[in-house]
Amino acid sequence: MYNNKLFSIKHTDKEVLRKWLHIMTLGRALDDRAPNYLRQAIGWSYHAPYAGHDGIQLAIGQIFDRNTDHLFPYYRDMLTSLSAGLTAEEIILNGISKATDVAGGGRHMSNHFAKPEWNIHSVSSATGNHTLHAVGVGRGMNRYKHIGVSISSQGESSVSEGYVYEAINGASNEKLPVIFVFQDNGYGISVPKKDQTANRKVVNNFSGFKNLKIFYCNGKDVFDSMNVMTEAKQWVVENQMPALVQANCVRIHSHSNSDKHELYRDEAERGYVADNDPLAKYRRLLTRYNRLSPEELQDIDKQVKDEVKDAHRKALAAPNPDPNSIFDFVSPEPYISTKYPNGTHNQQGEPKKLIEAINETLKAEFRHNPDTFLWGQDIANKDKGGIFNVSKGMQKEFGIERVFNAPIAEDYILGTANGMSRFNKKIRIVAEGAEFADYFWPAMEQFVECTHDYWRSNGKFVPNITVRLASGGYIGGGLYHSQNIEGALATLPGVRIVYPSFADDAAGLLRTSLRSPGFTLFCEPKALYNSVQAITSVPIDYEVPFGKALVRIEGTDLTVITYGNTTHMCIEAANKLKQENGNSIEVIDLRSLIPLDKETIIASIKKTGKALIVHEDKVFAGFGAEIAAIIANEAFEYLDAPVKRVGSTFTPVGFNRILEAAILPNTNKIEVAMIEVLKY
Amino acid sequence: MNKIGLFYSFNSNKTKKIAESISEGFDSDVIESINAETVTEEQFLAFENLILGVPTWFDGELPTYWDEFGPAIEDMNLKGKKIALFGLGNQVDYPENFQDALGIIAQLFESSGAIIVGLTSTKGYTFESSKAVRNNQFLGLAIDFETQATKNKERVKAWIEQLKKEFE
Repeated sequence: MYNNKLFSIKHTDKEVLRKWLHIMTLGRALDDRAPNYLRQAIGWSYHAPYAGHDGIQLAIGQIFDRNTDHLFPYYRDMLTSLSAGLTAEEIILNGISKATDVAGGGRHMSNHFAKPEWNIHSVSSATGNHTLHAVGVGRGMNRYKHIGVSISSQGESSVSEGYVYEAINGASNEKLPVIFVFQDNGYGISVPKKDQTANRKVVNNFSGFKNLKIFYCNGKDVFDSMNVMTEAKQWVVENQMPALVQANCVRIHSHSNSDKHELYRDEAERGYVADNDPLAKYRRLLTRYNRLSPEELQDIDKQVKDEVKDAHRKALAAPNPDPNSIFDFVSPEPYISTKYPNGTHNQQGEPKKLIEAINETLKAEFRHNPDTFLWGQDIANKDKGGIFNVSKGMQKEFGIERVFNAPIAEDYILGTANGMSRFNKKIRIVAEGAEFADYFWPAMEQFVECTHDYWRSNGKFVPNITVRLASGGYIGGGLYHSQNIEGALATLPGVRIVYPSFADDAAGLLRTSLRSPGFTLFCEPKALYNSVQAITSVPIDYEVPFGKALVRIEGTDLTVITYGNTTHMCIEAANKLKQENGNSIEVIDLRSLIPLDKETIIASIKKTGKALIVHEDKVFAGFGAEIAAIIANEAFEYLDAPVKRVGSTFTPVGFNRILEAAILPNTNKIEVAMIEVLKY
Repeated sequence: MNKIGLFYSFNSNKTKKIAESISEGFDSDVIESINAETVTEEQFLAFENLILGVPTWFDGELPTYWDEFGPAIEDMNLKGKKIALFGLGNQVDYPENFQDALGIIAQLFESSGAIIVGLTSTKGYTFESSKAVRNNQFLGLAIDFETQATKNKERVKAWIEQLKKEFE
């Protein structure tokens, strides 16, 4: 039970024991000192003390090998990070948010330790959110036959989160080399474990899952933690399946410096947990079994004191982040098209339907780049390739390793895409985010993550993902098969949003997206998949740069700005008014919402003096509101009429065709609005 | 009867109460109390009959003082020694690990050659699982201050009588 284990107080090499004590003492010195920075108004306003988790955190860091493994520490993992190799100075630089903070240059909250170049990843503050990323890395290891483990560390309350269930279910089903460590201190802030879940040993919630092994350890004990983590890692590598580790800890202090545990834990309990201090226990063991003398312990204390003083001095002298740098790393530089710099072509190439253009571009890019992957719900089973058959034939051609079905778990689909991107920069993932855009909402927290990552990590990591979403109405689909969600998602900096209306643009934007680093939302107007209106010739290597609108019809009387389904309606209405009244209406197809081609919009308004914005999404708080505001700000002096907007009513989209027609924009509504603006 | 060494934490509260009741049940010259927090191998080996207070901490752990003595216990030769264990646990709030510490330490002593005596029936307790149970018996006396405190007295009394026989 003790002495015949790999690590034991009696038999482990003295230098190893000394090294551990050094790391643990250093960690505690920093953990105890962190609140001082806040008291002195230097920073570190968020600090979640780890005291009481010492054994398991030492062990996680010690078994992590930066050459083979990936580590996802949570906000309490200071000792884990130190044990994995971060220096005291790096910990303080993160704590006080300096420009040289290796986690993200002071951009992310304090106590969120990371070092992306060592595969110690920057993670969200949302508890357990990174479990999905760890699973994605595990998938990368699996696909590239890499031997290593992906370690996700989190508190026990995270088991209440749905995405943690999704992560464990997925790792179990896909048999991925992931270790999920649950550091159980009995509390989620002030909420006791009994209010989270019925099992006191929270990992037992997953005991029915296949293909995984559950390990238990005393996270307060160095040796038990070291032995169990070592065993778990070995088991995962040998079996290529996930492991769960329940590490029982105590939380000696409050959850963080914004919490006061005196309000909900009595003195007896606070004393009881303090008496179980893992560092004190380790020191007692070292002297009891004559492994290190009291003098040797004192030497380490002194060394640590000097080390912390030195780190403190250096960190204080480090530069602060430059306020002018805030726009750095919002979104990475995209692929530049040399052949089609404006995203226009000379109409060569076969006429294709929009759905064919997407399918064929996906295939072409998958042939071009072997590091491409596609997954989503319902996307690959024999002859079926997605609910609309957009990915038809892909699994057959590229194999189940690259093109595969995902479980009905949208957050898992996107979160594991983010994670797999972390395994290797060259990977490009196409995630069919949901069967319909309407079902994408459960993935929203991972969507937010994807938009944050590049900025948060100060440019060190960006998920290389194209999310495809079958969007919009006009199919009699009702409330859950008709939504346009681009307006809501456009409020999040860090994502590109494109919305083609024609086959050639769908092909060109998709190719650019797949060749670019970064995160792109590719909205597919599903009503146009097979529409004759959207058929165009498509050059075989066509590319459309982001942020290049296309003037579909030139005109001088009115500028119409649109995208997606409504582009065709605007063209039809403009042509009709030209024929009937001789009006010269310019129709701009945005193609990209983010980045937005403001120059083309403003240049057109300078010419016409009038603007009408049309989209299928709701007028109220829709993307058109932003365009209208830009016009008001930057082109007011050129306007001869109020900026008008046409779009959906501020209602859900009804199922009955009569309701749908009343709600969605159509050619007639657009024509009426055009006439109204033209009257000025 | 060989002299009994009664080992428990002198700084504890409930464990100490039970230990004192047990001590009172024997003639003072046959039982000696020793603080488990500072116990040495020498003190431990001095007795042939031992009674240990082993409360279950947290979700099924040994108290630190016993856990820290574990590496020493494992290397001791305890052949022929009779060890009786009493544990404290809470069967309502911790039903998954009721009295686990008794089972963990019993196994440790047995692996060093000791005989565990003072086994008691699980009748009258309700819990989900316990490492302390073998053949429907606890590997010692199971005390539950939190939910069955009224039964402490009679349980301790019966156990003392049982030990008097088993220690002979």
